[in-house]
Amino acid sequence: MVHQSLTTGPITRRRVLAGSALAGMAAFIAACGTKGSAASAPASSAAATAAASAETPTEAAAAATPSPELNWANWSYYIDVDANDPTKHPTIDGFTAEFGTVVHYSEVIEGNDEFVATIKDALNTGKDTGWDVITLTDWMAAKLIRLGWIEAFNPANVANLITNIKDVYKAVDWDPDVKHHAPWRSGMTGVGFDSAAVGDITSLAPLFTSDPKWNGKVEYLSEMRDAIGLAMLYLGLDPTKPTNEDCDKAVALMEQAKADGIIRDVKGQSYTEDLKSGDAVLSMAWSGDMVQTQIDKATLGFALAKEGGMLWTDNMMIPKGAVHKGTAELLINYYYDPEVSAAVSTAVDYISPVKGSDAFNPDDKDNPLVNPPADWVARLYIFGALTEAQEIYFNEQFAKVIGVG
Amino acid sequence: MGVWLKRHSWVVPYALLAPGMLWLILFYVYPGIQMFIASFWSGTLETGFTFSLDNYTNYTEAFDQFSPFYARSIVYAGAATLLTFLIAYPLAYTIATKGGSQKNLLLFLVVAPFFTSFLLRTIAWKIILSDSGLLLGPLKAIGLVPEEFRLLATPVAVISGITYNFLPFMTLPIYVAIEKVDGRLVEAAKDLYAGPWRPGGAVVGGLVGGVLAAVLGVIFNWSWPAMALVGGTAGALIGWFLVSESFIRVTFPLSLPGVFAGSLLTFIPAIGDYINAEFLGNPSTRMIGNVIQNKFLTQNDYPTAAALSFMLMAGVLAVVAVYARALGTEDVSTGRL
Repeated sequence: MVHQSLTTGPITRRRVLAGSALAGMAAFIAACGTKGSAASAPASSAAATAAASAETPTEAAAAATPSPELNWANWSYYIDVDANDPTKHPTIDGFTAEFGTVVHYSEVIEGNDEFVATIKDALNTGKDTGWDVITLTDWMAAKLIRLGWIEAFNPANVANLITNIKDVYKAVDWDPDVKHHAPWRSGMTGVGFDSAAVGDITSLAPLFTSDPKWNGKVEYLSEMRDAIGLAMLYLGLDPTKPTNEDCDKAVALMEQAKADGIIRDVKGQSYTEDLKSGDAVLSMAWSGDMVQTQIDKATLGFALAKEGGMLWTDNMMIPKGAVHKGTAELLINYYYDPEVSAAVSTAVDYISPVKGSDAFNPDDKDNPLVNPPADWVARLYIFGALTEAQEIYFNEQFAKVIGVG
Repeated sequence: MGVWLKRHSWVVPYALLAPGMLWLILFYVYPGIQMFIASFWSGTLETGFTFSLDNYTNYTEAFDQFSPFYARSIVYAGAATLLTFLIAYPLAYTIATKGGSQKNLLLFLVVAPFFTSFLLRTIAWKIILSDSGLLLGPLKAIGLVPEEFRLLATPVAVISGITYNFLPFMTLPIYVAIEKVDGRLVEAAKDLYAGPWRPGGAVVGGLVGGVLAAVLGVIFNWSWPAMALVGGTAGALIGWFLVSESFIRVTFPLSLPGVFAGSLLTFIPAIGDYINAEFLGNPSTRMIGNVIQNKFLTQNDYPTAAALSFMLMAGVLAVVAVYARALGTEDVSTGRL
C-alpha cells in the first residue's frame, strides 16, 4: 500500500515520504526516469521553494537528447491549424523538423476534473500516466503541484521560459519561480450576449437581475471558479481572496436568480450552442469562444463587464514519471520562442504568455481578446488559491447551483 | 476427448459459464467490492482515505441529503418506462402479427437509431426541442404556443429523451413474446365465441387510459383532470374498437413475460441515467446519476459517491424483487393468470 503512506499524514511529512518512496522505486521502475527526487519535491511552501531554488545551479545538466516521440494532452481548438489540412499544426511540424520528435498531440481535455480523473491513479502510485505534457488550468495546476505530482523543470532545458515569460505570470503564489508550470494560454471569463435580443451589455447585473427580455434564457458556467468569481465581482467581493462567507453569498445570489426564473441552465462549453440557437441570449462566457461563435451568429458579443471579469491560464506541465521529460522541456522551451508563440496566436484568440510574441502577430494588435488593453487588464482578477478544505466547501455549495447538491 | 466428456459431462455447464463468470467477477464483482469498501471510507483525496465501519454514516448522511434525487429518478424512470410501454406494445404487436414479409425490415428500423451514438442521439433531441427548433418553431409561428414556452431544460424533455433512448429495449422483448404466442390458441378462442370486447373493453380501456394519463399529468405538472379525460376517452375508444376478447384472454397474458423483461431493461438503466438529465434538463431536473457523477469527478468525494451508488443498486434490486413478485415470470409463462 505505497499510496497509503504517500497520502496520509501532514503535508511536510508526506513530501519527505514521497521523495524517499520515489527514490526507492526508481530501482524497480527503470523506464520511469524520475531521477533527482529532491529537485522534484513540490514547492508547496516558501521554505521548500527557497531550498529547491538554492539547489538548482548544481542540478542543471546538459540539454536533453530528444526522444523519438512525445505525448501531449491539450484542450480542443487551442493550437494553430494548417489552412489546407486541418489535421496539421505547423508549429508542431516545426518542432518535429527541428528535433526529430514525433509529437502525438491529443485534444483530450474537456474539463480539468474529468481529465485528472483519468490519470489520478497512476500519479498516486508513481506510475507513468502515458502523457509527457498536460495542459491544465491554474487551480488544478496548483493542486497537482501541491500534491507532488508534477516534475520540476531542468532550468538548462527551458531557458526561453525563464527569460520570455511575461512578468504577470510570476505572481502566482503556488509556483512563483515557474519551476513546475509553463503557461500555455490565458483567457477571460465575462458575459456573452446576443445584442439583437438584449442590446449592448456592459455590466454583470443582467446575469443576476430579472427582466422579461432574458428571463429563462440566461446560462451560467458549471466551472465553479468562473461562476462564483463573477457572482463575487457583482457583489463587490474580491475573488482573489475568496472566503467561505463569500462563497455562501455568491451561491445565495445564484440560487435566487434560479428561483426568480432567470436561469435556464448551468453548463460547460455547450453554452455556445445555446447562444447560437437562441435558446440563451445571455451567458457567462469564455473570451475566445465568442470569436468562434460570431462566425455563425454575428450579433453575439463578449463583454468584460465594468465590475470586472476572471482571468485564467492553462499551463503546460510534466506529470510525475513522464517517460520523455527532457523532450517535454524542449517542447516547452520551443513554444516560448516569441515567433512560435505568435504563430499559435494567429489561430487561437487567447492571450499569449510569451514576451515579445505580440510583435510577430500584428493582425491582433487591436484585438482585446488577444491583446487586452490596460483598462481591461485592470479589471481582470485571478481566482485566489483555495485550501483543500475550502475547495471541498466551495464545490459542495456550488453543487446546489448546478442542481446536484 | 469425446469419451472423457461423456464421463465428465458435469464439466460442460461450468466450462460454458466460465467466460461470463470471469468477466463478471473481473468487471463487476471486483469493482463492486472496491466500491463497497470505498463507501466506508472517510477523509479526502489529499489526506488519504481511511476505512472504518463507523463510517456507515456515509449512507445515512447521503440518504438524508439526496433522497429527493432518488425520488425524482424513480419518477422519471417510471414515467419513461410507462411511456415506452404505451408506445412499444402496439408497435411490437403490429410488427409481430401484421408485419408479414416486412417483419425484418421493421425490426431493423426499431434498432436503427442504435447505429448512432447515444450521445449524438441525445444531442439531436436538443436541436429538435430547441426553443425555436423543428418542433416549437412552427407552433410558435402560428401562435399555437406562447413565445416563452419551452420544452428543453424541463422534465418533459428529460423523460422524452429517456423514453426515446430506451424504446428498443422495451419493443424487442415484447415482440419476441407476442411472436411466440401460438396462433392456434387465438383461433380456438374465436371458435369459442371470443369477439369484440364490448362493452367491457371500453370500460377497462377508459379506466386504464384515464389513470395512466392522470399519472403522467401529475409528473409533467400538467392539468391532470384534463389529461385523465383525454386518456380515458382514448382508452375507451381503443377498448371499444380495437381490442378483442381473444387478445385480452390469450395474447396479452402470454406476452406479459416480454413486458416484464422490457420494463426491467428500460427502468434499470433509466434510473441511473445522467446523460439525458445533463443535456436535455437543467438544474431542477438533475437525477441521482448526475449527483454521483459530480461527487466522483468534481468533488472527489469517493465515500459519498460510493454510498450513493450502493443505495441506488439496493433500491433497484428491491424494486425488481417487488415487481418480480407481482408479475413473476413463472406463472405468466405457463399461461395461468
